[in-house]
Amino acid sequence: MTNRFARRRSGALGYLTPLLVVLAVWVYGPLVFTVVLSVLDWDGSGTPTFAGMDNFAELFARPEFPAALLHTVVLVACVLPFATVVPMSLAIMLWKQPGRASSVYRALLFLPVVLAPVATALAWQFVLNPLGGVLDETLGLLGLGPVDWLGDPATALPTIAVITAEKVIGLNVLLYGAALDGIDRQSLAAASLDGATEWQTTRHVVVPQLWPITGLLVGLCVVLAGQWAFTNVAVLTQGAPNGTTDNVYYRLYTYGFTFFDNGLASAAAVVLIVLLGLPLAIRALLRRRAGTVVS
Amino acid sequence: MITPRGPWRRAGRHGLLGLACFVLLFPVLWALSGSFKRPDDLFAADPLPSPVSLDNYQVAIEQFPLPRLLLNTLITAAGVTAGDLVIATLAAYALVRLRFRGSAALLATIVVALLIPAQTLIIPQFLLVARLHWLDSYPGLIMPQLGGCALAVLLLRQNIRAIPDELFAAAQLDGANSLRTLWHVVLPLLWPALGAVAILQFITTWNEYLWPMLAAPTPQHTTIQMGLTLFTNTEGSNPGPLLAAAMLATLPVVAVYLVAARRITAAFLHSGLR
Repeated sequence: MTNRFARRRSGALGYLTPLLVVLAVWVYGPLVFTVVLSVLDWDGSGTPTFAGMDNFAELFARPEFPAALLHTVVLVACVLPFATVVPMSLAIMLWKQPGRASSVYRALLFLPVVLAPVATALAWQFVLNPLGGVLDETLGLLGLGPVDWLGDPATALPTIAVITAEKVIGLNVLLYGAALDGIDRQSLAAASLDGATEWQTTRHVVVPQLWPITGLLVGLCVVLAGQWAFTNVAVLTQGAPNGTTDNVYYRLYTYGFTFFDNGLASAAAVVLIVLLGLPLAIRALLRRRAGTVVS
Repeated sequence: MITPRGPWRRAGRHGLLGLACFVLLFPVLWALSGSFKRPDDLFAADPLPSPVSLDNYQVAIEQFPLPRLLLNTLITAAGVTAGDLVIATLAAYALVRLRFRGSAALLATIVVALLIPAQTLIIPQFLLVARLHWLDSYPGLIMPQLGGCALAVLLLRQNIRAIPDELFAAAQLDGANSLRTLWHVVLPLLWPALGAVAILQFITTWNEYLWPMLAAPTPQHTTIQMGLTLFTNTEGSNPGPLLAAAMLATLPVVAVYLVAARRITAAFLHSGLR
């Protein structure tokens, strides 16, 4: 930049102050405070006492926390296809057929993303009701069921995952669409000149160019799937049956606002942040090392 | 060259896309139809209610302060949206046009803020809001949710970056300072993006469930999503009015979305996420 110095004196701080204040007060301040709370024994009003690692010890001594961690992993695994393969296929179909119809499809697929989560959860509850709900009634006509989708420990977690996936598909169709817009059209022309069929072109030319965005969406799904499922768990199952739909995010909330145990909830938050942050930190570190090797 | 299989393939695509839309939207459509059924027909197999009945809506409105809940939600969502847009526009402009030390670090800070799970921050946020005596109040509902402005910053940053350099050079030649440039060059070009981000933010805040549940637990002061859950606890055995209330809680948002659907999807399509 030629006028770098002229720009430096332009008072960027004034423009950034509101953002910095908001992030400090409502995001990073609370983050630090969570870490502090995790080593305290404090109910929020009395005198706090230092608890060392007691909260963490208690956390892992309780059977439900490791179980919630495991269920979070299962949930992520169940949501993952709906964050990748399904929206990728839909986005490719939309991309092959540009025009009015595809923008209508796109708008309809995105609609579940904007629907109120509490309302969609209640709508699913109505459809899945084992006593006369339309899904079990339909299955009954085929001589199947009835299945108590949200009440049976075997089906409850996959059902929560499917309800959650509804919101993920529409968003990721759009993000795949953005990636497809950037695809090198020349590579497609070259492939069809070489006599590749449409399927071969899609499989060997288009899909490989979508790997970077797929990696990003997998990462987002890992980080966010539990949060996306939060409302569904809170409204539909509260972690039941037998804690099978419980996940780390819901557990955190339960420790804090049902048990009113700030220390335990904050310790769980710290564990979660470390688990989510570790891969990011490792990646940043590897990238930095790779950078020094190159330069 | 059109192969003979072309039309079939095209029909197959329409079939699959239509099926996907149907599967995704079926539960809500079925619930919408159910909300207009008479209590006795609630679980009837007819896809459309016959006869159409408004009983469920009448019960829902009588049993619960729905107008008050909707008003609270509207004020909260409007407040958060307005605050976010101001904060995000100023920050995005500085990030793109002004050079300052640590801009890369700030960008990383914003992205990380987006990824920190809300559930890990609720206890300190709650303690702070309680200490400020903001529980069950609009500031208590609005202020902490401003922390979610990171996505708006990133989306607006992409859009400001797309503004050609020549326009800024011209403004500089005219002797415009950075604030005048923001007002006269950036904002006029940013309206479409601001509109999309505003609608998205409004919808997100309207739908927010976790924070209102903590910060405003009383029926008179909370938002519609939390109100719905309170309704679930009292009317759980009576699903008809509950469905009616659920539809009232989400239909305003659907209306806003349908008006601007193309603009919103375009904002993501051109978000530069490649």
